[in-house]
Amino acid sequence: MGVMITMLSLVVILPIGTLILRGAQIGFADLWAVIGRERTFNALALSFRAALIAAVFNLFFGLALAWVLVRYRFPGKRILDASVDLPFALPTAVAGIALTTIYAPNGAFGAPMMDWFGLKIAYTELGIWIALIFVGLPFVVRTVQPVIEEIDREVEEASATLGASRARTFQKVILPMLMPALLTGFALALARSVGEYGSVIFIAGNLPNLTEIAPLLIVIRLEEFDYDGAIAIALAMLAISFVMLLVINLIQVWSRRRMGAA
Amino acid sequence: MQIEIDEIAKEFGTATALQAVSLSIPSGALIALLGPSGSGKTTLLRILGGLEYPTSGRVLFDGEDATGLSVQNRRAGFVFQHYALFRHMTVFENIAYGLRSRPRPSRPTNAEIERRVNRLLELIQLPAIGKRYPSQLSGGQRQRVALARALAIEPRMLLLDEPFGALDARVRKELRQGLRDIHDTTGLTTVFVTHDQDEAMELADLVVVMSMGRIEQVGKPADIRAKPKTQFVREFISA
Amino acid sequence: MTTTLKTSGLRPQNFKSATQEPVWLRYTLIAVVLLVLSVLLYAPLIAVFVEALDDGIIMAIESLGNRDAQEAIKLTLIIAAIAVPANALFGIAAAWAITKFDWRGKAFLITLIDLPFSVSPVVAGLCLILLFGANSMVGGWLVANGYPIIFAVPGIVLATMFITFPFVARELIPVMTEQGRSEEEAALTLGASGWRAFFTVTLPNIRWALLYGVLLCNARAMGEFGAVAVVSGKIRGQTATMPIMIEMLYNEYMSVAAFSMAALLAVLALVTLMLKSALEWRYADQLAASHRH
Repeated sequence: MGVMITMLSLVVILPIGTLILRGAQIGFADLWAVIGRERTFNALALSFRAALIAAVFNLFFGLALAWVLVRYRFPGKRILDASVDLPFALPTAVAGIALTTIYAPNGAFGAPMMDWFGLKIAYTELGIWIALIFVGLPFVVRTVQPVIEEIDREVEEASATLGASRARTFQKVILPMLMPALLTGFALALARSVGEYGSVIFIAGNLPNLTEIAPLLIVIRLEEFDYDGAIAIALAMLAISFVMLLVINLIQVWSRRRMGAA
Repeated sequence: MQIEIDEIAKEFGTATALQAVSLSIPSGALIALLGPSGSGKTTLLRILGGLEYPTSGRVLFDGEDATGLSVQNRRAGFVFQHYALFRHMTVFENIAYGLRSRPRPSRPTNAEIERRVNRLLELIQLPAIGKRYPSQLSGGQRQRVALARALAIEPRMLLLDEPFGALDARVRKELRQGLRDIHDTTGLTTVFVTHDQDEAMELADLVVVMSMGRIEQVGKPADIRAKPKTQFVREFISA
Repeated sequence: MTTTLKTSGLRPQNFKSATQEPVWLRYTLIAVVLLVLSVLLYAPLIAVFVEALDDGIIMAIESLGNRDAQEAIKLTLIIAAIAVPANALFGIAAAWAITKFDWRGKAFLITLIDLPFSVSPVVAGLCLILLFGANSMVGGWLVANGYPIIFAVPGIVLATMFITFPFVARELIPVMTEQGRSEEEAALTLGASGWRAFFTVTLPNIRWALLYGVLLCNARAMGEFGAVAVVSGKIRGQTATMPIMIEMLYNEYMSVAAFSMAALLAVLALVTLMLKSALEWRYADQLAASHRH
């Protein structure tokens, strides 16, 4: 007990507390002024927007992937299942340079995209989406997968005997059961992506106002010894994280109430 | 509706669940498929409901081949062993589900749906529970809601898989009469699966005793008691 | 009819299963999933090894043999050797306190433990700089007395611990909740001391979940980049961990060296995944029923 509280304080509470304290010393008005600056605002907006797009992609793709992993039989399924966690296990810097190599205008995928569609992926916002999709990929899959496993087949059969098509059964019966898990996975992927740094900075291009993400701007401000600027951005991101955590907890409370104890 | 089962066989991989059984179910009858677990009774019920496709043989409804008819188009009111109620829907929405799932031209208006659901809630003698969720109901209430939901699609037959299996003894007795009453009011051809011989004997017009994927005997409860045809039936009845 | 078996006039091909999607949809879904995973997951992984071996395996191995690379590998191992056991210890203590005793504020504590999951690594690094940096009160005193934390190994350890803080606790809490207290209580009534009850009853029950958590914690600890980048100062041969080295080499266009180091970490990731899958298949029932990362 003592060990736990001591470590929690030293490693988590004290550092975050310091950040909040320093923010309070600067004052709300000054913090707000920093966030309102064009470059800062654009960086925060980019981080949030790209994370949102990646999380939405992962919401749909994660559902499809979890469904395929639970319901279908095909060779190599176990390897596929294990590989879903690759983004958890692979260091972000490694993912970052690997994705950049492939999607750069002269890369294995980047070159054909450039030649055929005139589409530049790396060093544009598109590249940031790719990196964030990579990072957030496992979240929805791993929250939804166990729920799909636990679906009672009888419920799907009941829907069919009542005349519902497979599509309607999915929409009206299966999807509502998966909704809490889907939203939780979505929120986790979003929270992770908003603050992601390692896998993004290589592929992003890092042009101020265009492809410069918020965590990178914190690093830049630190290198300029502009601590107040760094603190303002960090607090804005911390606020986003808190809201996200709150949302996750609310989803869980709501789903528990709605689905009952059974 | 009259149901004809014509040499239906079912294999799951190498395991044989049913060995070419034939059975004629007269229109409006209340029939029990009685047997121990693994006797093939549930498989037979699921083939009737369109949830399984037989390895060979045919199912005829009123003389018409219905073997390949999809579950959706079969209009079989199916009550599952654990009821399979939709947890995220109120009792009202559970019962209305089948009507709302109809293609638009044949879908009743909302007012009509409401009228029908309320009539069904009265039929199962639970008029006031429409707004509740399944998790707020007792086991017996859940069973009756599942029955009402199956009846809402105006089924051509009623199929029940161990309808009393998940209930305690006292509620079980009470609901037996409930099923009998509903059968008598609706006049639907009704098939239920059970492993409880008392239940089969008390409730059914006709009892089909099954074992190891075969039909051992078909007869009125009194006849089966009086003249068991095989060694298995004699032992199962006296158990 | 020529066969002995009676068959229906309606053919089984027309029969739609109640709980399966149509065949075309199933194959489309599998194809889409495989395509996206290939493009997003497998291609980058393969690219790491292809780039590392661009000038042959000899060059790749040689690039790992230089002094700075060796120092980076050593540093990363040291960091993991400190951060992982510390967090394992914390995870056990936290899961123990949360599941074996009732007290108020438990839910809030769980939220606090989870916090590092949703805090940006860069923000975590910034927090440590504000607390221990040379300009801060605590940091100034420590630097003056010869114990620098920021731009030194202790800072990297703290940053790594922050990021990997919830991993072990997260795995243990559900398992220990499920197991309840009765077994320990039984051991205690039989006269075992608290510690003895822990080592003979609790620990064997949670060992696979613990190993699972340690595995994930270790993978993240050795690969952490964002938080470490902020606090390390990136001094080659002193505070550059493997991921930091990768960044520096990559930015200097030392592609083979960067990817060789990356390949080393990728192998670690693959081994982690294999061990993790093996644990999941063999001890599924002893791990938490549903995993949240």
